[in-house]
Amino acid sequence: MHRLRWALLTVMALAAVIVIAPRAIAARFAPIGPAVSDRLWQQPPPVTNDACLACHNDPSLQKKLYNGEMWSLSIDLKDHASSVHGQAGLACVQCHTNFDESHVKNPVQFPGFNANDRRDASLKLVTVCQQCHADQYAKANDSVHARAQKAGDVNAAICTDCHTAHTVRRLTDPVTKQLLPDARQWVPLTCAKCHSTIYNQYKDSVHGAALTQEGNLDVPTCIDCHGVHNIGDPTTAAFRLKSPNLCAKCHADPKIMDKYGISTQVLNTYVADFHGTTVTLFQKESPDAETNKPVCFDCHGVHDIARTDDPQKGLQLKQNILKRCQVCHPSATANFSAAWLSHYIPSPDKYPVVYFVNVFYQIFIPAVLGSMAILVVLDISSIARRRLRKPKDRPQPPAGKPSDTDVTGKESSHG
Amino acid sequence: MSAVSQSTSTLRSRGVQTIRFFARFTLGQRWEHLLLFVSFTVLFLTGVVQKYRNEVWSQDILSSPERLTLIRNIHHIAAIVLTIEVIYHLARAIYLLARRKMSPAMFPTWQDVKDAGRMIGYLLFLTKEKPKFGKYNFEQKITYWFLFFGIGIMVITGLIIWFPVQAANLISGAIVPAAKLAHSTEAIVAGVFVLIWHFYHVHLERLNLSIFTGRLNEDDMRKYHAAEFERLTGESTDAPDRGGQV
Repeated sequence: MHRLRWALLTVMALAAVIVIAPRAIAARFAPIGPAVSDRLWQQPPPVTNDACLACHNDPSLQKKLYNGEMWSLSIDLKDHASSVHGQAGLACVQCHTNFDESHVKNPVQFPGFNANDRRDASLKLVTVCQQCHADQYAKANDSVHARAQKAGDVNAAICTDCHTAHTVRRLTDPVTKQLLPDARQWVPLTCAKCHSTIYNQYKDSVHGAALTQEGNLDVPTCIDCHGVHNIGDPTTAAFRLKSPNLCAKCHADPKIMDKYGISTQVLNTYVADFHGTTVTLFQKESPDAETNKPVCFDCHGVHDIARTDDPQKGLQLKQNILKRCQVCHPSATANFSAAWLSHYIPSPDKYPVVYFVNVFYQIFIPAVLGSMAILVVLDISSIARRRLRKPKDRPQPPAGKPSDTDVTGKESSHG
Repeated sequence: MSAVSQSTSTLRSRGVQTIRFFARFTLGQRWEHLLLFVSFTVLFLTGVVQKYRNEVWSQDILSSPERLTLIRNIHHIAAIVLTIEVIYHLARAIYLLARRKMSPAMFPTWQDVKDAGRMIGYLLFLTKEKPKFGKYNFEQKITYWFLFFGIGIMVITGLIIWFPVQAANLISGAIVPAAKLAHSTEAIVAGVFVLIWHFYHVHLERLNLSIFTGRLNEDDMRKYHAAEFERLTGESTDAPDRGGQV
């Protein structure tokens, strides 16, 4: 009987383990699905922050990860409170959803979470962002960073690398959804965390200097050209072919350019010339085609774009533009750079030869082709009228001359 | 230079009659025209596609870098053919003219201006008499010289935009965009000219195939080249000559 009781207890315990354990594990490591609710932050949190902070306020709270690395689990509530999430009243457990009562009761036995190393931890935790930010999350999943992640580069940027985990800042105006002025200045600094070489070129460029030194909000930051969450690969042929449109977004817009006295004809004049015509054509017809035709950044620079009147790098200096020509036309000499109209529309002052060739044809075409067309019309009407008139007032052949018809029976020429 | 040939044909209604033909173009000249015709057409078609690259129909044709290269290569080959033809034509003409083996009938004269004036008078019903034209009437001379200078412009500007670096070294950089504009515009001028002027005169006004057959019949000679007919035969075109009829 005694033995039977023990056997029964063992079976019940086993059953309990089999039935309950997977649920508990599932509850802890359940993959977090798509957005639980837009209004997640409006629901009362199941566990208050105080409960979390009872332990996580301790600066010495650490966890040993699988690789032996020690990971601080302490959180300064001030950081969270000043973040956009804290201001909105979000509680810890609304992001850290994979913790339940068991963790509060026995955090060592139910850590709720484990990771191989610090980066692994971030990669696992970042999935919670999509609960509320599904659009941005999906876009980011399509980005060059996500592709690098999938290809095995664990250091490729994830949400928290740019936005941070606990000190997330408000970037857009809640009403207009426009980027806040401060945010425009943060963007390049954020990208610089990984892309520091490019940032160093950018900050000295005409755009970067205006932003970092003068706080100019018209100039582009990284995201204006590269996109925000669905950042594409800028090294593809397709990006290259489309790039003139990126520049034209601002440079063909008089609202922005008039302030600085910059021509808005830069795209038109580019498209009208050899290089631009071909690039525009391929952009439409075969967007993935490789072309050796230059786009804006081949001459003006990619991140180190300078003013055209820059005393050192400016393209208005013949030797500077010639260097660009020589990349594709190695035998070009000083004369050659004038073959490019430099975005000017020909006038008597700028490129007079081209201007006067145009004037010549504007006069020549109507004058010559017009008068020829008139002669042809006169000829047709003359033939028609003479034919119609013939039967009536056919001139009599002069006396002594035989007939007005020749061998083939047709009217002769002078009739 | 022009020889008179006779051909006998039987017309059922009129019995046997002889039509005189007058040699107008040599075999070489006929081949030259054919070469010009083919290369001009190919150049025009492949050029127009490149000129109107912003149009949908053009973009459908030039849809990929490979296609563009192909069209351009065809254009360049036809250009070489035309250039060789132009050089041959000029060299031959200069040689023959210098050795007085060819009449300078194609050169414009004061007579052509008077002929043109009289022809306009005739077309406007101011005079009843059509002017008597020589071997080449003023209209044919306009055709020749218009295309002569047009093709000259096309060859020179074409070479400049084909070899922009060398052209810039030789002349100046600004010549390249000017040549591009001239090449592109002159092409349309030449194309429209051939369509309205040349096609009208050789197809609509009358079907004149002498550039292919090399000869012109007596009828057309009397009507369109009366002065030349009189010079060759010594007969007057005022009275239709019936001597040929048997």
